[in-house]
Amino acid sequence: MKSIDSIQDIQDTARGAVFLGAGGGGDPYVGELFLRSQLSAGHHPRIESLEDIADDAFVISVAGVGAPTVLVEHLVSAPTFVRLLEESEQVYGRRVDALVSAEIGGANCMFPLALGAMRGLPVLDADGIGRAVPHLDMTTFNIYGCLATPSVLVDDSGNTVIVRTTSNRTAEHVIRNVASALGATIYGSFYPMTGRQAKQFAVAGTLSLALEIGRIIRSAREQSADPVRGLLAGLRKLPDRRPCRLLFEGKIADVLHETRDGWHFGRAVLESTHSGGRSELIIQIQNEYLVARCDGRTVAIVPDLICVLDRESAEPLTAEMLRYGQRVAVVGYAAPSVLRRPESLAVVGPRLFGLKEDFAALEALIPGEE
Amino acid sequence: MTAVDGANKRIGIDVGGTNTDAVLMEGDSVLAAVKRPTTQDVASGVVDAVEQLIGQASGRSLGIRSVMIGTTQFINAFVQRKGLARIAAIRVTLPKADAIPPMTAWPQDLIEAVDPDIHLVGGGSFYTGVDYAPLDERAIAKASEAIRAKGIRAIAITANFAPVRPDLETRAEAVVRRILPDADITLSHQVGGIGLLDRENAALINASLSRLSREVIASLRQALEHVGLDAPIYISQNDGTLISEDFARRYPIFTCSAGPTNSIRGAAFLTGLEDGIVIDVGGTTTDIGALAGGFPRETATPHYIGGVRTNFRMPDVLSLALGGGTLVRLSEDRVTLGPESVGYELTRRGRAFGGEELTTTDCIVRLGKATLGRPELLESLPIATARRVYEAIQTAIERGIDEVKANSRPVPAVLVGGGNILVSRELQGVSTLEIPRYADAANAVGAAIARVSGRVDRIFDFHALGRDVALAQAKEDAINAAVAAGASRATVEVAEVVELPMTHMPTGAVQVKVRAVGDLAAPGVREP
Repeated sequence: MKSIDSIQDIQDTARGAVFLGAGGGGDPYVGELFLRSQLSAGHHPRIESLEDIADDAFVISVAGVGAPTVLVEHLVSAPTFVRLLEESEQVYGRRVDALVSAEIGGANCMFPLALGAMRGLPVLDADGIGRAVPHLDMTTFNIYGCLATPSVLVDDSGNTVIVRTTSNRTAEHVIRNVASALGATIYGSFYPMTGRQAKQFAVAGTLSLALEIGRIIRSAREQSADPVRGLLAGLRKLPDRRPCRLLFEGKIADVLHETRDGWHFGRAVLESTHSGGRSELIIQIQNEYLVARCDGRTVAIVPDLICVLDRESAEPLTAEMLRYGQRVAVVGYAAPSVLRRPESLAVVGPRLFGLKEDFAALEALIPGEE
Repeated sequence: MTAVDGANKRIGIDVGGTNTDAVLMEGDSVLAAVKRPTTQDVASGVVDAVEQLIGQASGRSLGIRSVMIGTTQFINAFVQRKGLARIAAIRVTLPKADAIPPMTAWPQDLIEAVDPDIHLVGGGSFYTGVDYAPLDERAIAKASEAIRAKGIRAIAITANFAPVRPDLETRAEAVVRRILPDADITLSHQVGGIGLLDRENAALINASLSRLSREVIASLRQALEHVGLDAPIYISQNDGTLISEDFARRYPIFTCSAGPTNSIRGAAFLTGLEDGIVIDVGGTTTDIGALAGGFPRETATPHYIGGVRTNFRMPDVLSLALGGGTLVRLSEDRVTLGPESVGYELTRRGRAFGGEELTTTDCIVRLGKATLGRPELLESLPIATARRVYEAIQTAIERGIDEVKANSRPVPAVLVGGGNILVSRELQGVSTLEIPRYADAANAVGAAIARVSGRVDRIFDFHALGRDVALAQAKEDAINAAVAAGASRATVEVAEVVELPMTHMPTGAVQVKVRAVGDLAAPGVREP
């Protein structure tokens, strides 16, 4: 089992979480510093693999809900996290045995680790989606019938809101409005489940995957003249052998950002800098990178991961960071297989994001290379 | 675009790592320019340059009305951890933000150098401007007593959402002043926008420089008095505008990246270009920056100063390890440029000067594109090789230009700096390339022509206020800030408005950034 035991491990995990965020999920910087200060206080997170959790153990997800602009101002309060755990135990009527991240991609990768470190609770090496997604109900937990509620929501001022809803879609609406009423940053417990359910429904190994991807990028940068290819070679050596592809290398020729109804929409146009004809890659953005089309042909599509990296350093870039002129590489990374099943595509497939095409696997769109 | 009344004579000085440049200007004309070595104590180098510049006549008889100085001293001191004051941090955020105490991610050697005393107290605001907790004045008083007992006098105060509610910090300051009347206090809302950690870092860096800034400003003042100048001193800040001597003494952090900015502004002024690219080729590096409306375009990503993350507004300059002294290495099929450079030792170590090292300048001389040194020493260097090096230089600079440009259209460019001989053919992506007179002293010109600015970075509720009312309010506040910084009100205009809607929340909250810029008011006049 991997352990996250040093500042470098935390930074690697954060970098890997941005990669798995596929453009969204928010900057994990605040969570990274939260965990870092726990580490300097001698509180180390403990990571437990899914196989090791008892069937009758009680597991919850903890996550922050709110606006990234507000999180960077309010930061986080340790007593709030402790209270979240204590009040959750009251509401659920039993002790929490382990924590799990609802969404490994981006900021919410770090909060369970910090709370786990603080309270000596293990964090499962797993999450609810294996990437970042815009809604609370877009999780494998939901896909396989777990309810997101009862959910305990807390703020730093001592307010607690308990949410019980009949559907996870409703939960998403209610929770986002509670966040708005409480100053746009709250923390909550979601998806209470047994160890047995976690084993069945969670996406396994994603926390160590984030750490491993962060490490691969760092060492590729230190050792290779071409960190992007070093990263691809590293991904291919990982035990689950998920297909990955270098989709494009080029320069951002145009980027459009727009905010509608609180969500970030956009489009990035990339031009190839290679000789032998001009190529163009267009990435459509809705918080995350949804679909990449090379000269009009789809080369990767949600829920497979599309990751934009700085060409020189292989540093993963979130959608807000894209700017004209950046030299980037775009990598496609197959989603965990559970997300590609029909029941999952009904919840996180392309049509859910308003795209007028069906999912096609990365390795079918670009054959070979395995 | 004139900084001051056309009749005003003024001196612009840029104190760089290697050279101190000075120019004498009257209205829009450069009357004289000199370049002297920067000295260890800075002041004697400034005296040397100014004496050269104005000859034997005294400053008063020349009618010099103001002196504008760009200096890298503060940033250098911070990076080298030299002359830093012990600091105290008072953070007004409880019950929020305790899990990431001040300076969590600072380098250890820096923490040792500033030996901080840290206090977290109650108080703070939501993004809406409503208090989530009252300001805990008793805790602030208690913290101040502790700070006094430790003999610390440099203090940074940071409150939650201070950009929306600056009064939280000014009220906290009043409490501290009752106990420490002479403290050097930095308020975070004066040095940064939304993003507590980055803004707090800027305030703490500023506090750590407070002792040094008093010394440096006093020594510059003395140096100028020594050569008979008693004109007001203005210091260049990062965005290419000026701050008063007094303001710079209190906020040295604003001067930390003035160098590249001044060179871009000077290049713009010398050519009259408002939008385009500025290429500053030095001995070791080439800085390429974009000019938008006569000012450098600024970075969007976090900026690190001496290992500390800040949300500082910095010119978005791409620095290439390529200059006149850059070493050239040749293999079978490859030309490698740098990153090593002989720098100011070019005239000793370059081959065209009898030295051993092959530099970019040698290849330019070999091709007959510049007359320098002794070209006959380069006869063993094949012309074809020199040409390959020359092409590699142009390609590297073209790539840099392309990265800096805001879109793919060809743009006009200005070439400045001592190494500008490296560039001589038409560059791809550039419509016209101009090398102005005084290109060598563009940075000092940039200091001399600078204007004065004011800024706002706050969150407004567009649903409640309406967009028009909110933007009008933001613009008025920015204009007032420019006037408070020394601008003449009649000349102030809004230079930039950025709206960033808050995502992930169904609200009308929009972060608005406005910058207003005006001409320096006549000396001694402070407008209402």
